[in-house]
Amino acid sequence: MTNSLNDMRHAKSLIFIGSNATEAHPVSMQHILHAKETNNAPVIVVDPRFTKLAAKASDYVRIRPGTDAAFMMGLINAVITNGWQDKEFIRTRVAGYQELVDVAADYTPEAVEEITGIPAAEVTRIAELLANNRPTSLTWCMGGTQHHIGSSITRTFCILQLVLGNMGKSGGGTNIFRGHDNVQGATDMCILSHSLPAYYGLSDGAWKHWCRVWDVDYDWMVGRFPAKEWMNKKGFTLARWYEGVLGEVEIESPSPIKAMIQWGCGSNSNSQYNRVVKALNKLELLVIVDPFPTVASAVTKTDNVYILPCSSQYETSGSVTSTSRQIQWRYKVVDPIYDSKDDYQIMELLVKKLGFADEFYKKIKQVPEDITLELGSGSLTIGYNGQTPDRIKKHMENWHTFDIDTLQAQGGPCDGEYYGMPWPCWTTDHPGTPILYDVSKSVADGGLPFRNRFGLEKKYDSSGRTENQLAAEGVYNPGSEVKGGYPEFKDVVPGTNWKTDLSQETLKVAIAKGMAPFGNARARCVVWNFPDQVPIHREPLHTPRPDLISKYPTYEDKPNHYRVHTRYKSEQDPNLVKDYPYVITTGRMVEHMGGGAETRSNKYLAELQPEMYAEINPRLANDLGIRKTDMVIIESPEGAKIKVKVKITKRVDEKTIFLPYHFAGTLMGESYEKDYPKGHAPYVVGDPGNTVTNYGYDIITQIQATKDGLCKVTRA
Amino acid sequence: MARSKIKTSSGAGAVSDGRRVTLNPKVARRSFLKLSAATAALTGVAMTTRMTAKASAATGKSGPYMGSKKVKTICTYCAVGCGIEAEVQNGVWVRQDIAQDHPVSLGSHCCKGAGAIDMVTSEKRLKQPMKRVNGKWTNISWDQAMDEISAKLLDLREKDGPDALHFNGSAKVSTEMAYLHRKFAAFWGTNNVDHQARI
Repeated sequence: MTNSLNDMRHAKSLIFIGSNATEAHPVSMQHILHAKETNNAPVIVVDPRFTKLAAKASDYVRIRPGTDAAFMMGLINAVITNGWQDKEFIRTRVAGYQELVDVAADYTPEAVEEITGIPAAEVTRIAELLANNRPTSLTWCMGGTQHHIGSSITRTFCILQLVLGNMGKSGGGTNIFRGHDNVQGATDMCILSHSLPAYYGLSDGAWKHWCRVWDVDYDWMVGRFPAKEWMNKKGFTLARWYEGVLGEVEIESPSPIKAMIQWGCGSNSNSQYNRVVKALNKLELLVIVDPFPTVASAVTKTDNVYILPCSSQYETSGSVTSTSRQIQWRYKVVDPIYDSKDDYQIMELLVKKLGFADEFYKKIKQVPEDITLELGSGSLTIGYNGQTPDRIKKHMENWHTFDIDTLQAQGGPCDGEYYGMPWPCWTTDHPGTPILYDVSKSVADGGLPFRNRFGLEKKYDSSGRTENQLAAEGVYNPGSEVKGGYPEFKDVVPGTNWKTDLSQETLKVAIAKGMAPFGNARARCVVWNFPDQVPIHREPLHTPRPDLISKYPTYEDKPNHYRVHTRYKSEQDPNLVKDYPYVITTGRMVEHMGGGAETRSNKYLAELQPEMYAEINPRLANDLGIRKTDMVIIESPEGAKIKVKVKITKRVDEKTIFLPYHFAGTLMGESYEKDYPKGHAPYVVGDPGNTVTNYGYDIITQIQATKDGLCKVTRA
Repeated sequence: MARSKIKTSSGAGAVSDGRRVTLNPKVARRSFLKLSAATAALTGVAMTTRMTAKASAATGKSGPYMGSKKVKTICTYCAVGCGIEAEVQNGVWVRQDIAQDHPVSLGSHCCKGAGAIDMVTSEKRLKQPMKRVNGKWTNISWDQAMDEISAKLLDLREKDGPDALHFNGSAKVSTEMAYLHRKFAAFWGTNNVDHQARI
């Protein structure tokens, strides 16, 4: 999130696309509804499904799954053609605007209606609603990202906010609601196969930086890898690790995957779940580290599976980063129960046995506080260095001193600081950055311009125009020595820059000058290193509208996409819809979380939501002869099937089937509860929705396309 | 565009005729009252402190447990990051309370957060290390588990190299632990490391 949940109280309008906050982030609703009621802010919900959030909306827009980019480009085009854009903001803080205008022109209201199913007049009306009620807070979740063009879709959200001038403002911003409790912190630490912690990437410079932080010899680190080149190449991802085991598609890796450690991760959140199960059973070693056995313990039939009982997060301590970038200290409530051990203990046992404990724990004596300090000392890109354990704990002790509307402490020990010191928090006396890219405050007080990350100027391929990438004259944070754009800081300490100067002198010098360490630049509408430099619509790989493929085709197939050959064009079969006529999409329920290993083992939640189901429109149900409480079989084009109960409801239209994805423990109605360790099967089992989610992965991130596949439905 | 409101209260599935789990009647009543107040707050009108005050009243709270202490902590479900006040007596988490002062959650909870205590009290929690032997789950010691796992990993590393391992880390652990997940992969010598944020 660029802003915070509390800051949404200041929005004059709110638009949610692919987010069902009422179920997925329920407690955020008090801030959202505050804006709705006190500001009379329109709440616009764009979703294929009439969600519980839609029930709270002032305006609901039903969209065909996978066409979000087309709708957003339609809004952008409507804003521009009607002259509603923020011309001054664009002139001074946006790059590639003209190139954007050229592409957006294709998305007339009529073209958008043809692609999305949203009436042309509605496109213009929503654009006008946003233009007349600024600032707008824009929120998306997995409904916006889980598509093969997810990375383009998310860019259209950001660009709309740039064009409307809603960035860097209280009540505005791009406010992605993150899912798991610490997915922001885990992302920031980059448990990701393409980067070292804090988004440093995998370049030699990144490795050398982190080796300095770890105080280990770079050459020793090189020697840990099969060859130096593999340090710089991305690894397999959670989305497709199983292809590295199965060996059925072309992979580029020094070795197939033969062992897996699965630490706090439910396997049934993966699409094409049958392939996951097949791979789990082919591993020579599977280690499950979890408070609950997870479904992987039951779907494997092999002998080389270990379960290590990890304590829950209430039995250990450490910091967690909320969706608002706030860092909070999760105190230990009780010691680990039974013979479980906490995460840190298990990691230490493993690292000692594997023989690199001396190097690994070189700077870590007191757990977890020394780890907080070590990770902070290296994570300068995102300013994780100012939030020391002592400061985080002080905020926890003083909850009552923070103002609800600004999240700033009013007096008391944390006076002037923002709750949780939202990153970047550049120094140990910085208050945190409550709103990203806000030039109304000084950098020392939590303000920031846009980051200079992509050079000083750029000649665009599409237009041949060259543009300065720095912010215009007159755009700067109060107190800045430079009264306009400037590049990132480097060579304050010779040979280093603001990201690699471990003394942090560069950060202090920049802030003393009233300037941002990362420069003051423009936000880009053109991303020249992506296949779609300006985002465009491309039809889902498995589309119910084959007539649109020729105009909006997918990409060419991509070899070695995170080590795995990935099909695009060769997968986009126009005839698929004849046999698989319905769109399948997935989502959350308020009572369950993720793969459900925790919540389906929770007696209270189990009682509230005990059964898997599929939502089907009454018209479709009647056409197929399906009645209330019937079981149906849903089949994916990959040939996978589930058997689930129907929920007949107009929440979905007659072309769309909705599945919650939290269930596991049965398949085609047959239970494998007996295969869990005795007494540890969850209270609630059901067919995993992800058994029938389709093939399809984003071209940049490889996120799975679970929101716009196809299926067929028959009465069981 | 449809503007009608869905009137039914909780449950996207609204399947209330499913099987029931056996509950301790005392615990069940207390939790049910607490949950129903929280659910009403969610699905009825806007959540206000008045609604959450009701949730507190419904627990029938009557003073602290003898010699107990309060621990402030953070909910482990979603990224909203709600506050929880845990009441601990003799090392046992005996009751949870809403965190009225928390600047984001303001004393609110969803039904998941209201039942957070069951992360620790659930009978389904794993009790000791296990291994499947001849198709049957068998209890083993930590020493045996770590010896066998590390021997197999080192053997694979010798024969196939570090990329024979894939490490699926977690968005459910602390930031410190998440950092150790990534650091572990680096020190093991692979970039085969990922977690839920990918998908």
